[in-house]
Amino acid sequence: MNFKEKLKSNKFLITAELFPPKGTDISSFLMRAESLRDLDAVNVTDNQRASMRTGSLAMCKILLEKGFEPILQITVRDRNRIALQSELLSASVLGIENVLIISGDHPSAGEYPSAKPVYDLDVLQLIKAARTLETGIDLAGKKLKGSPKFCIGAAVNPAATPNDLQVLMLKKKILAGAEFFQTQTIFDAAQYKTFFDKIKNPNVKILAGITLIKSPKFMQFLQKLPGVNIPIKIQERINSASDPLSEGIKICSELISDLKTFSDGVHIMAIGMEEHIPNILSLQ
Amino acid sequence: MILTIKKSDEEILESLKGESAVFIIACAGCAVKSHTADKQAVETISKLLSDNNIKVLGIEILGAVCNTQKAQETLSKNINFQKAKTILFLSCGTGVQAVGSFSDKRLIAVLNSAAIAAVEPSYSKFCSVCGDCILSYTQGICPKTRCPKSLVNGPCGGFVNGKCEIDPAKDCVWVLIYEKLKQNNALDKFLNRFIEPR
Ligand code: SF4
Ligand code: SF4
Repeated sequence: MNFKEKLKSNKFLITAELFPPKGTDISSFLMRAESLRDLDAVNVTDNQRASMRTGSLAMCKILLEKGFEPILQITVRDRNRIALQSELLSASVLGIENVLIISGDHPSAGEYPSAKPVYDLDVLQLIKAARTLETGIDLAGKKLKGSPKFCIGAAVNPAATPNDLQVLMLKKKILAGAEFFQTQTIFDAAQYKTFFDKIKNPNVKILAGITLIKSPKFMQFLQKLPGVNIPIKIQERINSASDPLSEGIKICSELISDLKTFSDGVHIMAIGMEEHIPNILSLQ
Repeated sequence: MILTIKKSDEEILESLKGESAVFIIACAGCAVKSHTADKQAVETISKLLSDNNIKVLGIEILGAVCNTQKAQETLSKNINFQKAKTILFLSCGTGVQAVGSFSDKRLIAVLNSAAIAAVEPSYSKFCSVCGDCILSYTQGICPKTRCPKSLVNGPCGGFVNGKCEIDPAKDCVWVLIYEKLKQNNALDKFLNRFIEPR
């Protein structure tokens, strides 16, 4: 079963995220990927945090060759409509069907604050453009010789407030053609359930994003990000643990157990600590 | 109006390297409202020039430099302008180029043209002159200009407590639009409206 088929099944889906190397040495990327063998799909980020890295498309192709099911992340930040459509066709030619379409971190958040923010299309427009390409024409109305097929995902942030606006946006993305969602990081399953009950939809799968807290320092970094809300109980556990990493692994595992009771799946963002994902999952 | 901001003294002096005399054109249109071409701004630039041994041959305050025909008429009667080889502009970039369209003189921009903005009490960048206005669909608030990601069909996931992820000091413009959509019972319309790429 491929990822698109799994979306139609009742399976609790598990995906994770890998970031490409900064440079041409892909050995560590491949090592981290090995820890994700048993997952349903693996996202490859697109110059995340607006920092320059090797391209998502190249790394997705390598993953595909090694027997993984990649999800190509595409932001609308760096490319205009010509390049975006071209990237989608390239993905299809390379056998990559899954794409996650997101707005991306603004250049001002990254290594090149004065880089030109492109945003020629917005997320809705690119989702629709991908659906248009599938019908054999492009945004200019020109005929394609051979048309692509996609499984399209998008992002949703349970912590965005006013929350109802984010719910509305999710609905809009579904109308535009999104088939699955991966959320920003959550730490509180009960709180997420309230949000999930508002957004659950039989036609799409929504995977709750979770992050491995590896140290008190990393937790402090996370807390500074807008909308990140770590329950006091979890903070205390990390702060008082003699081995914060293994405590973090336990916390992730417990969160997944809770999510299994209602969520469609999880999306794990281990941020370089992917080697611990098998451990998180084995504690289930 | 066009919001202008004065360049740094270093940059101005750098662009004037080797010049010994200039003529100043100040714009009484937008630049005056930005306080970048008013009396005080003219005095400030004059002082900078004299401190650096650059002579001011004359000053012309034009109603609006971007009115090319009017500018040409007025300047053709100004002997000091005719004599000058280098012209300093306290105007937006359009003003500089309007004069450049009928004059071969060296043109020096003193101001940066920053935005189309509303003035007073604060300068707010409201429009980026895109040439294809969508305000009728966005409750009169321009996300092309006021959302850093120019998202026209709705927000990203970055707003927290109504503030923008890129600058938490600023409201997320989509939250502002959302509040108006709610007030006007237009949420359904928003959900079903798709603004095509233009
Ligand atoms: S959509 Fe925005 S940028 Fe375009 S004309 Fe209207 S206000 Fe100006
Ligand atoms: S938070 Fe709002 S204003 Fe800021 S980038 Fe996102 S949608 Fe635009």
